[in-house]
Amino acid sequence: MKKTLTQFAIVFSFAIGLFSCTKSTTSSITPMASVTTTYKDLMADTVLGIDPKTSMPYSAGKYTYYSIENNTIVPKTDSATNKWDLAFMSTTILTNGGSSGGALGGAFIYTGLFDDLKTIAPDSVFKTDKAPVYAITTGSGKGWYTYDGMNNLITPIAGRVLVIRTATGKYAKLEILSYYKGGITLSPSATDADKLTKQRYYTFRFTFQPNGTKIF
Amino acid sequence: MGQTKLINDTLYSNGDSVVVTATRSERKLSNITVPVSIINAKTITQNGSLRLTDLLKEQTGLTLTSGFGAGVQLQGLNPDYTIILINGEPLVGRTAGVLDLNRIALGNINKIEIVKGPSSSLYGSEAMAGVINIITDASTTIPFNASLRYGTYNTADASINNSLASKKYFYQGFYNYYTTDGYSIRPNSNNRVTTPISRFTTSQQFKYHLSSITHLVFTTRFTDENIKSDIAVSNGGVTIYSKGNEHNTDINLAGTLNHRFSNSLKTSFRSYLTNYISTQDLLTLSGAPYNDLLNHLFKRIENQTDWTLSKTLSGIFGAGVVWEGVKSSRYDSDKLRKNNTIQYGFTQWEWTPIKKFILIGGVRFDQNAQYASAWSPKLSMLYKLNQQHKLKLSIGNGFKAPDFRQLYLDFTNAAAGNYSVFGSAEAQKVIGQLNILGQIGTLYSNYYLLKSLQPESSTGIHLSWDWEPNQKTFISVQAFRNDIKNLIQVEQVGTYVNGAQIFSYLNIGRAYTQGVELETKYQLNHKWSWSGGYQFIVTGDKDQIAQIKAGRVYTRDASGISSRLTMSDYVGLPNISKHKAQFKLNYVTTNGFFANLRLVYRSRWAVNNTNGNEVYDSGDSFASGYVSVHSSFGKEYTNGLSIQVGCDNMTNHVDAVNLANLPGRTAFFSIKYQLINKKNKS
Repeated sequence: MKKTLTQFAIVFSFAIGLFSCTKSTTSSITPMASVTTTYKDLMADTVLGIDPKTSMPYSAGKYTYYSIENNTIVPKTDSATNKWDLAFMSTTILTNGGSSGGALGGAFIYTGLFDDLKTIAPDSVFKTDKAPVYAITTGSGKGWYTYDGMNNLITPIAGRVLVIRTATGKYAKLEILSYYKGGITLSPSATDADKLTKQRYYTFRFTFQPNGTKIF
Repeated sequence: MGQTKLINDTLYSNGDSVVVTATRSERKLSNITVPVSIINAKTITQNGSLRLTDLLKEQTGLTLTSGFGAGVQLQGLNPDYTIILINGEPLVGRTAGVLDLNRIALGNINKIEIVKGPSSSLYGSEAMAGVINIITDASTTIPFNASLRYGTYNTADASINNSLASKKYFYQGFYNYYTTDGYSIRPNSNNRVTTPISRFTTSQQFKYHLSSITHLVFTTRFTDENIKSDIAVSNGGVTIYSKGNEHNTDINLAGTLNHRFSNSLKTSFRSYLTNYISTQDLLTLSGAPYNDLLNHLFKRIENQTDWTLSKTLSGIFGAGVVWEGVKSSRYDSDKLRKNNTIQYGFTQWEWTPIKKFILIGGVRFDQNAQYASAWSPKLSMLYKLNQQHKLKLSIGNGFKAPDFRQLYLDFTNAAAGNYSVFGSAEAQKVIGQLNILGQIGTLYSNYYLLKSLQPESSTGIHLSWDWEPNQKTFISVQAFRNDIKNLIQVEQVGTYVNGAQIFSYLNIGRAYTQGVELETKYQLNHKWSWSGGYQFIVTGDKDQIAQIKAGRVYTRDASGISSRLTMSDYVGLPNISKHKAQFKLNYVTTNGFFANLRLVYRSRWAVNNTNGNEVYDSGDSFASGYVSVHSSFGKEYTNGLSIQVGCDNMTNHVDAVNLANLPGRTAFFSIKYQLINKKNKS
């Protein structure tokens, strides 16, 4: 039944596509529309200063909770609810499930282009958080970023898409565009001060499918 | 050839000069079948070069690298792949594969021979990209000379050379002292090149003629280097400053017995010992000591026999044993020396069926206990079309043995996430023990592939065409390609329980470098001459290229959005400039005045993978290309006195991040006195 629905949906959207090609004045509303949104400068436990004793940078050590569905920051007081989908702290990203939360959240990392990911393959396996191992793998070169220790820079890996199952069991795809304030790419020769104070600001784009299907 | 004969540095045109490196025996340059460049003493003096680095940076196709001292990149291959010889004996003591060429003073050098490509394969490991052989002066024409030089950054250099000769004996001594305050082109940094250095070098050569057919040669060389270190190590945005001393000592001892049985048969026994000891004693600002030790001992005995069968056929045979060992604080214990013994043999045959054609074939075999053995065959030929045109072709296999670091490193970086790197020889043992102790989290599939490393190997082909349209002009066009396999790379093989990474070394990489070179030289009249060179080079990692072609490599644009990388955006290997050029204008007069102007150009090169795809492409960060301009002039008086003034990097090009080894504009003044022995010319 579900399969026929999907097939129907594909045929239908294909027909719409054909239709819009032949008649350019057709309205742009399509029934399956999922929009791509960009979120800028999500602060993920930004650096507060350098401890004069240990000469190590310090921060508050707190996660920033975020709802994909509503595209907003969620207060920490709601961390035990299903109001948030992702939580960010420096390079670690939690999903609302498993050891991180009581909801349906999970994720996996897709290798390929954001625009090419139109359907989540049926055999895809969503992982859930099992601290200290997370659905969105941490560590340089293992998840979404690489760390250049020589120049102290975090760079998102090209061609990585985070495929997210939200707290309510819906699906989204998300591409991290930058880890630095203003969505910039810091050059290796940037000052140490810039590298410290401008990091932990996420800019990402995502497509959320509100209807619960795996098609974007 | 008359007065206008091209006698300056060069490359090919002076056919009468003798080359030893190319064939391991003395051959006229005009009969050399492989690509070779010669830099002679006159060029060294007139350029005002002090250290080997000063000289090599102005050679076509050679690039100096910075980081762990100054190394040289040849045919697009890193410093690890070029062997550095002094009078045919190798120097040791590399840090991260780089042998710091600043260690080598040029005061008593007769000439430098550079053989490019693996056609130099008779020299064994490291001679994959080429061989640089520094030949010290052993002439008796100048029994005494002394020179003094002073320049920017309180850089001072003093040298004394003396020689004594009788019918049976010959002695030559060289003493050099070099000191510099160093320089700081990056205001807030304490890079190694900025540090004050003082270096003392002495070498002695003693020859004794037992008879007209037998003679003994002993040479010693000693370099002592003191560096005031003021190092900044950045980790995770935290910079730790430490101060202290770095002390490097390099000792070389060689003894050779040469015997001539007849005009067609001679043999030479060589023994050699070298020891490089480097220590760092630093204190961090918090008072914690940081000590580092590297002690590399290399001993070798070798015999080479040269046999001329007939006018058209001659051969050499050689065999030797190397005992080599390294102690390092980065291995499991700095008390214990890691040892390796290498046995090798080689032979080479030269066939000249007709005057116009020379064919040389050779092969070397290296065998040892630590890694797989290696065969290095080579074949080269020369065809002289006529007086003007010469064609050369050489094909060879070269290799580089896994170094001690790749075999024995046992290093855990406590300052940066406690990751560990283990050399391949002990990785399985060490990780296995950690596993028993329950410290290992996961082991990757490549952990099980860890075994004895293969030497990295390269097959090179080099084609050249030399053209001398007249006695004043020389043109050479060359093309080369090197295919490299079994490159040793660091790979993650597992993790600790706490997630920290564990690395080791595996033979995984495949790469190529190919390019063309153009060299020209022109003598306008007996005062003016110029020379120029250009190199175009393309490089690539073959595995990366396969991935790109399969559409599996991505890149990010300025806004961070990913797309598929295309081959047109692929840059190849890092730190390589596609275009390089050099130009030199020379002026000399008959009364001893000389002047020169030298330009060196290098196009941009990739330095950092900034878009996170592990492949160097047009979206990554590059160091910008530049031209550096150097000049010097001086006068040699007939009474043996000479004076010289020079200015390097006249346009004051600096790039603190990518060109730490290029100081801004510097100037020098030098004075030299030579006692010329008129009756004893050799």
